[in-house]
Amino acid sequence: MSTRERDDRLDDGADDRLDDRLDQEGEPPAPPAAPPRRRIGWQKLTLVPAFLVVMLLATWLWFAQAELDPLSENALADGQVSKALWQHIQLTVISTFFVLIIAIPLGILLTRPAFRKATPVAMTFANMGQATPAIGLLALLVIWLGIGRRAALIGIIAYAILPVLSNTIAGLKANDPSLLEAARGIGMSPLGVLNRVELPLAVPLILAGVRTALVLNVGTATLATFGGGGGLGVLITTGITNQRMPVLVLGSVLTVALALLVDWLASLAEVLLRPRGLEVGQ
Amino acid sequence: MSFWEYVGNRHQQLLTDAYQHASAVFQCMVLATLIGVLLGVVTYRSDWAGNLATTATSTILTVPSLAMIGLLIPVVGLGVPPTVIALTLYGLLPIVRNSIVGLRGVDPSLVDAAKGIGMSRVMRLARVELPLAWPPILTGIRVSTQMLMGIAAIAAYASGPGLGNEIFRGLASLGSKNALNQVLSGTLGIIVLALLFDAAYVLLGRLTIPRGIRV
Repeated sequence: MSTRERDDRLDDGADDRLDDRLDQEGEPPAPPAAPPRRRIGWQKLTLVPAFLVVMLLATWLWFAQAELDPLSENALADGQVSKALWQHIQLTVISTFFVLIIAIPLGILLTRPAFRKATPVAMTFANMGQATPAIGLLALLVIWLGIGRRAALIGIIAYAILPVLSNTIAGLKANDPSLLEAARGIGMSPLGVLNRVELPLAVPLILAGVRTALVLNVGTATLATFGGGGGLGVLITTGITNQRMPVLVLGSVLTVALALLVDWLASLAEVLLRPRGLEVGQ
Repeated sequence: MSFWEYVGNRHQQLLTDAYQHASAVFQCMVLATLIGVLLGVVTYRSDWAGNLATTATSTILTVPSLAMIGLLIPVVGLGVPPTVIALTLYGLLPIVRNSIVGLRGVDPSLVDAAKGIGMSRVMRLARVELPLAWPPILTGIRVSTQMLMGIAAIAAYASGPGLGNEIFRGLASLGSKNALNQVLSGTLGIIVLALLFDAAYVLLGRLTIPRGIRV
């Protein structure tokens, strides 16, 4: 309603105004029952897992007949593969947790009126940070903090914070101002507006941020091996330096499978956790 | 040795690395742009084909770069081939997505008008649709380039060219006096290159975006 009023006030041509009004009143009042978007199609449910099963099965079959020399066997023996996989998952989960608890509150803070002036500065900083190569950042942290998991984790977190932060800021800024005005108009406190209007509206965006962070972190975690942080990157780098293709392929295939699985799970979460009210008109 | 002394001593090597880094990224970007825009042009008019192209390229982007390079090495060997293939594949998504969005966003009445004055399909595409879709495509190219700068550094591990070698040399000699200098010069070099490329794209936008639609 408010947009139409504003249009009317701004329009000076009477004919235009009449046309506008005719257009708007001729329209049916918002499509009543848009098909529910919550349903996850069977394709979405089965395609990625099926692909992953085929890929892993093919790798396993190839491995069953591959002849491993002592060096490869050494690199894969004693549950080292499952250990690397488990380390990788840990790195991903821990770093994602920290990314979210740092980036999302920071994004909310930077969009409050008191800090709004700092937003462009933060965004410029974020864009500059995007040009920093992940491996360079990680290497600098390893030199600074010493080899080990801590440096790797901090590197992974630092690398993912900026994209999630800029996503959060962009999303909170994209909220329809008239909705916020309406919320303030009915007497909500700033905290109430944030909790009951802004954040629920920004949920899809925050979920997208979670997905971004997860996928980025699975990728950056492969670099943890260069800082002694373990993970599936260990298999890949061992394979490359020792020129043992089975080790290299196994490490790469597991990493790809993990990345695709994580992305798929996050995309399901995006659909399932979206507030119901936002489904129409998507 | 301080950082600047190091840079002064090794400027020859650093410049070569920087040049190779920039040229690898640039060539892969040209390839990715050609393939990406072509994919966009072929798929944008059909809903499912466009979605398929976007999904396929975004799946590629989900694959961690070290794993992608790891999968390419058994097939094409070490060095330049895996670097070029990986960089080109990673560069595709932003360009494909933005070409599809840009081409779909062209006002149908303009295309209709072009048809009305007798332009052929190819002419319409070349003279009307692509110029109008160029600003988002250029944005896609910018995003891709930034990303490739970092991925190219990782490709150095598979004996690829560029400043990544400097970083890995530093990592290999951790604890030595030059480790920090090496890593720092590689990292800062890549940041500088990325900013230079970005500035070049702004200039390119000024020169190539038709005056009528410039904001």
